[in-house]
Amino acid sequence: MGKSKQVGNHKSDKKKNIAKTWKTKRRTKDLDQIHADMIPANSAKLLKQEIDYDVTGCAQHYCLHCARYFVDLKTMKEHFKTKVHKKRLKQLREEPYTQEEAERAAGMGSYIPPKKVEVQTQQVEEEMD
Amino acid sequence: MRIEKCYFCSGPIYPGHGMMFVRNDCKVFRFCKSKCHKNFKKKRNPRKTRWTKAFRKASGKELTVDNSLEFEKRRSIPVKYQRELWNKTVEAMKRVEEIKQKRQARFIMNRLKKGKELEKEEAISEVKKNIHLIRAPNAGKPKQLEEKMVQKLQEDVEMQD
Repeated sequence: MGKSKQVGNHKSDKKKNIAKTWKTKRRTKDLDQIHADMIPANSAKLLKQEIDYDVTGCAQHYCLHCARYFVDLKTMKEHFKTKVHKKRLKQLREEPYTQEEAERAAGMGSYIPPKKVEVQTQQVEEEMD
Repeated sequence: MRIEKCYFCSGPIYPGHGMMFVRNDCKVFRFCKSKCHKNFKKKRNPRKTRWTKAFRKASGKELTVDNSLEFEKRRSIPVKYQRELWNKTVEAMKRVEEIKQKRQARFIMNRLKKGKELEKEEAISEVKKNIHLIRAPNAGKPKQLEEKMVQKLQEDVEMQD
């Protein structure tokens, strides 16, 4: 229960300063925002973005569930096989936590168990060239 | 003025306490103390954090479904002040709180009963398993042997006759 053990952070430069990653200034997308993104209308827009040279991979390869851009299709496909991605899918399978649920837990109404949500890795169109 | 509820731990937030975080999509999150805010920033799930109310409700530690929980509600309709109504409401609140406390206490006591039963079962099975520590396994043997000897002797005597 709770936080999982951090593995192999000693030598990687990526997470040298954990406190910085927790700043609200560089806040990444929350699970409820991703749930909103998964609505077909929104997801279609996110998966087919216009070419933007400022974003990784010109914003052409976007993982919807992890809210991440990838350099090319190959790395994205590799990412789908990773633990990070699978863990994220598992987290997304439950309805997001809301302020209403917090209030119900505080005694304003009876408890309603969270619903299950079907989540699957996005389809990748095979490019033949 | 309203006493808000904390997003993370569901505790009450009195005016002038805690902090409010507004995400860049205008969604408002209120926190009762810095502990809750820090945990939110670390993206912890309140349903899985053991000390929050959400966890306690989700894992059946507390009373979850009851009529006494239906009184406290967010009512956004202004009511004109009437002295009588006010008095009655305060009385009712006291009574509801009393009943709620009683029911919650009873629920927890019932929940703990199960553990006591299991403890008893465990103790009995442990005694059964380690009975050789209390009573020597061959404690009754010499007496049995003696009886057998007596029987055999008697049989021998009968045979001789």
